Amino acid sequence: MNEQPFSPIALVGTISLLVAYIVGAWGIAAGIAGNAKKSRKLVSSSVYALYGFSALIGLASALMIYAFVTHDFSIKYVAHTSDVSMSTWYKVTAFWGGLDGSLLFWVLVLGLFSTVAILTNAKRHRDMIGYVVATILIVQVFFLSLLIFTKNPFGVSLTAAPADGQGLNPLLQNYWMVIHPPSLYIGFVAATIPFAFGIGALASGRLDDLWLGSVRAWMLICFGFLSLGLILGGRWAYEELGWGGYWAWDPVENAGLMPWFTATAFLHSAIIQEQRGMMKRWNLALVCFTFFLTIFGTFMTRSGIVQSVHAFGEDNVLALQFVVFMAAIAIVSIGLIVYRSNKLGSKNEFESFYSREFAFLVNNWILLACAFFVLFATMFPTISESLDGTRVSVGIEFFNRWMTPLGLILLFLAGAAPLLAWRRTTRERLWQQFALPIGLMAGSIVLCLAVFPQTKHLSSMFKQNIQLPVSLINIGIIAFVLGSIGQEFIRGMLVRRKQTGSDPFTSLVGLMLSKRRKYGGYIVHLGVAVMFFGFGGKAYDRMVDRTIEKPAPAAYSGQPANNDKSTFAFGRYTFGYENLIHTSDDSKDAVTAQVSIWMGSELVGRVYPAKWDYHKGEEATTEVAIRVRATEDVYVVLTGYDLDSNLANFRVFINPLISWVWIGFLILALGTLICLIPQSLVDAMSVSRPKSRLGRAGEVGILLLLAAGLMGAVASKAYAQGAAEHVPAGAGMGESGTGWAAMNRPDSSTSERAMKELLCMCGCARESIFDCKCQPAAMSRQKVLDFLKQTDPKSGKPLFDMSTETGREAAYNAVLGDFVAFYGGENVLATPRSKFSWLFPTLAAFGGLGLIFVVGRRWVARGKKSVAEQTAASKNVVEDEAYADKLDDELAKTD
Amino acid sequence: MQNSTIVKLALTVAVVAGGVFFFARSTQGSTQHYKMVDQLLATDLSQWKDKELKVHGWVVAGTIKEKVVNQETIRTFVLHKDGKKIRVFSKGPKPDTFKDQSEVVATGRIVPAGQMDPLARGLDVRIEDDMPYVVEATELMAKCPSKYEGADANKNIGSGMAGPEFKGQGK
Repeated sequence: MNEQPFSPIALVGTISLLVAYIVGAWGIAAGIAGNAKKSRKLVSSSVYALYGFSALIGLASALMIYAFVTHDFSIKYVAHTSDVSMSTWYKVTAFWGGLDGSLLFWVLVLGLFSTVAILTNAKRHRDMIGYVVATILIVQVFFLSLLIFTKNPFGVSLTAAPADGQGLNPLLQNYWMVIHPPSLYIGFVAATIPFAFGIGALASGRLDDLWLGSVRAWMLICFGFLSLGLILGGRWAYEELGWGGYWAWDPVENAGLMPWFTATAFLHSAIIQEQRGMMKRWNLALVCFTFFLTIFGTFMTRSGIVQSVHAFGEDNVLALQFVVFMAAIAIVSIGLIVYRSNKLGSKNEFESFYSREFAFLVNNWILLACAFFVLFATMFPTISESLDGTRVSVGIEFFNRWMTPLGLILLFLAGAAPLLAWRRTTRERLWQQFALPIGLMAGSIVLCLAVFPQTKHLSSMFKQNIQLPVSLINIGIIAFVLGSIGQEFIRGMLVRRKQTGSDPFTSLVGLMLSKRRKYGGYIVHLGVAVMFFGFGGKAYDRMVDRTIEKPAPAAYSGQPANNDKSTFAFGRYTFGYENLIHTSDDSKDAVTAQVSIWMGSELVGRVYPAKWDYHKGEEATTEVAIRVRATEDVYVVLTGYDLDSNLANFRVFINPLISWVWIGFLILALGTLICLIPQSLVDAMSVSRPKSRLGRAGEVGILLLLAAGLMGAVASKAYAQGAAEHVPAGAGMGESGTGWAAMNRPDSSTSERAMKELLCMCGCARESIFDCKCQPAAMSRQKVLDFLKQTDPKSGKPLFDMSTETGREAAYNAVLGDFVAFYGGENVLATPRSKFSWLFPTLAAFGGLGLIFVVGRRWVARGKKSVAEQTAASKNVVEDEAYADKLDDELAKTD
Repeated sequence: MQNSTIVKLALTVAVVAGGVFFFARSTQGSTQHYKMVDQLLATDLSQWKDKELKVHGWVVAGTIKEKVVNQETIRTFVLHKDGKKIRVFSKGPKPDTFKDQSEVVATGRIVPAGQMDPLARGLDVRIEDDMPYVVEATELMAKCPSKYEGADANKNIGSGMAGPEFKGQGK
């Protein structure tokens, strides 16, 4: 009989969770009693309980990661979600790869966030911090109780530990998946802090604007990480799932989108409360509802309720716990808001429909409508099944028909609201503000009608019989938003320029740094407009399925003939099916098709769509080949094959404008980061610059080093996995290891250097052929070795003189050149030699931030110097003075 | 209660009620029904004409016919559940685990059998006389049993799925 294995890690981990549970329970009681009885000792005790709780969870998480890295398969969770062949990186990410670990990860992130939030706010909010701590700890203890009583990640096997684990789901072994789930979790978790402060404010009756100031940044973090999580999820789906799109209104995606809408609404209405003392009920309701939706999203995706009510029954215990918790959140939140209703009245009333506050109110209603629509449409199958037993679902088209017009209204408001004044906008002002954006809107629509008549295409909105030229409207509104935001930046810059006497660029950066929330927000709006440009391409995407019975006898060296049966034409391209390669390595079987893409006689590139069948997985995964072009993506999927006859089925998508979705997101992220720049950093910038040349040089050097470090880190992540974990072929991997990893290893420093520089095109995460363990990598290595050993046909001497440095360099460059010519581009190189386009987004983001820092510092220093001059010169600045006053008045309170 | 508050509340209720009503109306014609083969055949099939639905059943062994015509794969097969059968036509890719006796969900429309006659002739198949309607599928999804579930899991769906097998073999 097998003896139950003993794991000290599991024992200490479980004990830490149990102790954390007790500490958390004490913290809740002490926090509530402390604030209710106004006992400073009890409040302090609850704060320390929170710190202790976080430390214990940190210990448990560290133990869990240690168990993964050291292959402690006696712990069931470790055995279920990892195996010895996984790289260390994936072993760490397996921590949140399953339900149990993801719950622990949730508690860990909330522990870290709450520690920071309480450390920075404990003194400032002494009269409510006990309630805040208690609220956070109630959430923590709820999740901890799930961990301890039903989903203990430290549970050990009853029988002997297996020799190897089952491995992480192959679909999750993707670099986007490494960061996508934690991003969403962080977004979800960050919503807890505003909720806790909201409840604290309601419970203590301190309903002035102070609590808002403490939670704004946390809601911005929530918004930023939800955005990041959603876009990374979209990118993962696009690259990994092979259906040609990035968003399918899947319940899991919707779970992240719903709180995103309400968090966005809060970020807007918080400004109204600060500026005009209005919408207090809205703000409290929004923080509570955002938090509720994060819990609801978790419940929806974990309990299985969305797919089927039967799945609900299968995980009834977990589902019931969530239902009780959600009911408690709803009752407490609504009860407290009603109880404090008399303190939540507005200081002011809406004065005009043509005011910024009214635009914000409409914006909030639309965002709320979006959240409710997504909620009901996602739950539609469950609701219909529970009502009449018939499972009825709504498809992607239905979601699109509703969300497109709602999204377009929001986009319009993103451009219109900044143009409106607080309280009321006079008719003259309306004309002055709206003339340029509306002119641009009209111009772009006329231009599209003249140059791109296909934009007249009608699409259904709301109902099937309501048809509108959505693309045209979309382009028009995007132009309107660009005009509006551009105008705001230019006018603000001109005012600053007059005030400081700086050059335009310095003024612009200075303006952004001094009014970070306003201009950061505008950049976010700009990013959203750019993303909508990308979304617009969806209306014109095309798809084709083709079955090719035989590959070409050899790779095409020129444009394939029209009647060649191994080719097919689609859009502007001709696709040549050149080979079907069946390979096997230590972890998977892979079938890869080699396809060349031609545009006329120009080789666009060779791509390698594949299907991978992991030995430990359940389903084959689709490895999509995407060729990114300036205006569109060419997306090739191997949908089927027959190894006996070499028949292959392809599905090809042409996705216009899709890159703008990712670019728009980068702009949005930049805007969010600008909003998050703390005042202390801006203050640090205003410290006078070092006077000596050495000091200045040092400062510039540090900045450059920082920039280079960041760039290097991101770039290296993009092209290689770093030091790959070398598992000897076949060792401990069962009988399937065929030893490709050990074949054709480098025989000289030049061949090794070239192999490390050349990327494997098998579809792996851009590993070099030196590191990749698959057969195509082994074949490519052979090609490198053969190339370097070439001899001159006439003299019989080696073509490359490997005895000299010059000869080795020539050989290295020649072999790289040969690969580039064969694959039709420098995408085969780890560090492209001439094209840096793939680095552009990173360069733009970090370069932009660096520039803002440097120029901002310069601006702040210059601004200080010119204060005296400004005062003297102010009398001369009469032009646009009204605008300057408005700008300063309305923004004085925003930072 | 102040008049303005009553107006605000009434307006809110009207907007919300209007929105919910419009939402409910807009779902008409956009919903997708999910039926097992026997459930579907127990209804009057003509009522599903031009409506998209998901039909769930098991592939009758030996009924899969597939052909490549002008670089396009066309196929037909029969789905069954509890003795009830319906023929399905589809084009394009199929799931990796699609084969005899596999569990399949076909998304598409119910069309009169006569409409599919040309396709059936191209596949050398004669549509059964007792099938006045067939499914014209746009998407096929196959349920994949776990490789680790062993023989018990595979008993239900036939010998074709027994044991680990490399995917995508066969036309």
